[in-house]
Amino acid sequence: MNGPRVALAVLRKDLLVDLRSRDRLGHMLIFAALVVVLISIVLRTSAADARGALLPLLWIAFLFTSLLGLARSFQAETEDGAWTNLILVPVDRGWVFLGKAGANLLALLVVEAWTALLAVIFLDVDWTRAPGAALLAGVLGAIGLSTLGTLLSALSASARFREFLLPILLFPLILPVLVFAADITGEAIAGRALAERSAGALALYDWVFLLIGYLGFDSLVEA
Amino acid sequence: MNGIEARALEKHFGPVRALQGIDLSIEAGSLVRVAGANGAGKTTLLRILAGLERPTRGTVGLGGRDPFGRKAASVRGRIGFLGPTTALYGELTLRENLRFISSLHGLSEERTPQLLAALSLSEVGDREVRTLSQGFRRRAGLARALLTEPAWLFLDEPWNGLDRAAGEQLTHQLRAGREAGRTTLVASHAEPTGPGGVPWDRVLELESGRLRETHR
Repeated sequence: MNGPRVALAVLRKDLLVDLRSRDRLGHMLIFAALVVVLISIVLRTSAADARGALLPLLWIAFLFTSLLGLARSFQAETEDGAWTNLILVPVDRGWVFLGKAGANLLALLVVEAWTALLAVIFLDVDWTRAPGAALLAGVLGAIGLSTLGTLLSALSASARFREFLLPILLFPLILPVLVFAADITGEAIAGRALAERSAGALALYDWVFLLIGYLGFDSLVEA
Repeated sequence: MNGIEARALEKHFGPVRALQGIDLSIEAGSLVRVAGANGAGKTTLLRILAGLERPTRGTVGLGGRDPFGRKAASVRGRIGFLGPTTALYGELTLRENLRFISSLHGLSEERTPQLLAALSLSEVGDREVRTLSQGFRRRAGLARALLTEPAWLFLDEPWNGLDRAAGEQLTHQLRAGREAGRTTLVASHAEPTGPGGVPWDRVLELESGRLRETHR
């Protein structure tokens, strides 16, 4: 049971660093608000059928907001050499990855809830028609983003142009997550049945990258 | 046992050969100084022996086990390393940092107050690390490296930034570790001064990535 203990310790530590420094989550919440307000202004001044672009726009807004936090996911580790502690853990380092991804997931879920609330206020989105499906889309989408984001953030953590490198690596790989999540969300907002094929595909995609992250983090850390 | 073995170690950074054909055998429980000028390769050697960086060629054994191997987790947990940085989180207090390290290693927190007292850090234990002076930060980093009571301890220029009293505490810790059977490698370009000095078992000299023994 040492692995879960390490994952939990890393998760708790990351949340504590986030709460203490405040800026990572704070910046994401402010950025999300700005983007949603911007989308609402653009949609109100566009043709009526432009609202069809709402859901992809919301997920892209969430992606850009997430990037702010994900890019700094390993900042605390690289700032004063604290990587050493994570390299010398007495368990498989995949557990460190799960702890980091878990902390990112919690932060993204907070940002997602905030974005959903802003969407109700500024974009008249009604989440109550199929709340279960909307929640599932949110959770599966956030898992995909946090898993891939954590993995690629670790990969780019010590690169010179990490703020540039992370989106370059993340955008092509995250595309299926955005497509499936937007599909499930669209059906949920329309009050239709759960888009099962998209939900299944998204869950599988999340699982594959969770596994890749767990198994590959060891090599990534040493590189 | 807690000996250290290295065979034909090489480390290249592009065209730079930081380490060239290092062969090393250190007995368990030894206190060894690695001397050498700036850029001689001391830090690189320590990082490789501590399992923090893979060599370009060659092998490392800690107690007969490869710290880079597939089953290295149990070896890694018994390594202590202090480099030029504290390896602590600036936003957390010193106690919170040590609690985190303890939880990574499944240790009880009983050792933390003892260690803080031994290194005269008790009064700053509840301060965020980023607010500590350079000297206290250095001591805090040392407390982190010692917390797990490692079988192998690697210290890179540990006297840098320490005042006389803290330097003597470090020397005391090195003596105590030696008595407890810990294998310690200290990279230091200058011999530390102070009452009694450090009872080195061996002094190795690194020069342009090559190793030679100067004292045994």
